[in-house]
Amino acid sequence: MNSDFEKRLQDQPMREIPRHWRAGILTAAQTPPPWWREWLWPCPRAWAGLAAAWVVIFGMNLATGKSPYRSTHATLAVSRRELQALREQQQMLTRLIFPAESAESQPPKRTPAPRSERRKAVIIG
Amino acid sequence: MSSLANLEQLYDEHGQALFAFVLNLLRHEADTRDVLQELFVKLSRNPRLLEDVKDPRGFLLRLAHNLAIDLVRRRAARDRNYEHLASENVALFVASDSPDEKIFAGSLDVALGELPPDQRAVVHLKLWEKLTFEQIAATLDISPNTAASRYRYAIDKLRERLRPIYDEIK
Repeated sequence: MNSDFEKRLQDQPMREIPRHWRAGILTAAQTPPPWWREWLWPCPRAWAGLAAAWVVIFGMNLATGKSPYRSTHATLAVSRRELQALREQQQMLTRLIFPAESAESQPPKRTPAPRSERRKAVIIG
Repeated sequence: MSSLANLEQLYDEHGQALFAFVLNLLRHEADTRDVLQELFVKLSRNPRLLEDVKDPRGFLLRLAHNLAIDLVRRRAARDRNYEHLASENVALFVASDSPDEKIFAGSLDVALGELPPDQRAVVHLKLWEKLTFEQIAATLDISPNTAASRYRYAIDKLRERLRPIYDEIK
């Protein structure tokens, strides 16, 4: 089936594989891979996908401009306000239920003196 | 048999064929060595890879072909394409003492390098591995018809290119 030309090509002997390659290739084949490569080896695409997902989440988090620090502060501010409101409510209830006690417990209010009792500045000419 | 003995046996039985095939594909000796090393590393880490394989030579040639393609793709940015690699002057054939043989071998080397890599792979497997078109098709993951047509195109180009020297030394 082959022509003379093809037979002529076939007869051309190929160069031999360098002898010193054998030891190098077989030694490299026997060398265990680094631990991280062995760890990633079973499913490198899955790990890469997971890493990409984290990058996307991080990017989105940055893009929204709300840092966790800020949100914590906001929560604290809200809780302080709520606490203050709760205290005021408690005081009001105490005043309503025990008006006498609450009056005693509170320092007497200083009522402003009538205007007529005010000292008049006397200018002696 | 230990896995090292297995690897040694595989290397001794198929190393030469794999070397010639990959060298003809890549036309680059260091890259050829990288591909062979990667192939044997793969075999070492997956000892069951050849377990149910009926034709180990065909399987290894296919593996080598895929690794060579991967390597070319990885280096595409640096080397542009196969054609750049093919232009490198790498000796594929045994140097002969006869001047005519030397000239013919050198010209064949260059002519093979000028073929598109797909055709070069088919020609190599047909001429130097003596595979059938069905086997070539299975190795390169193409249809037997494609393998046959690539072979015919390649032989026509080689004949055209080598005609003056071939006619002279015939």
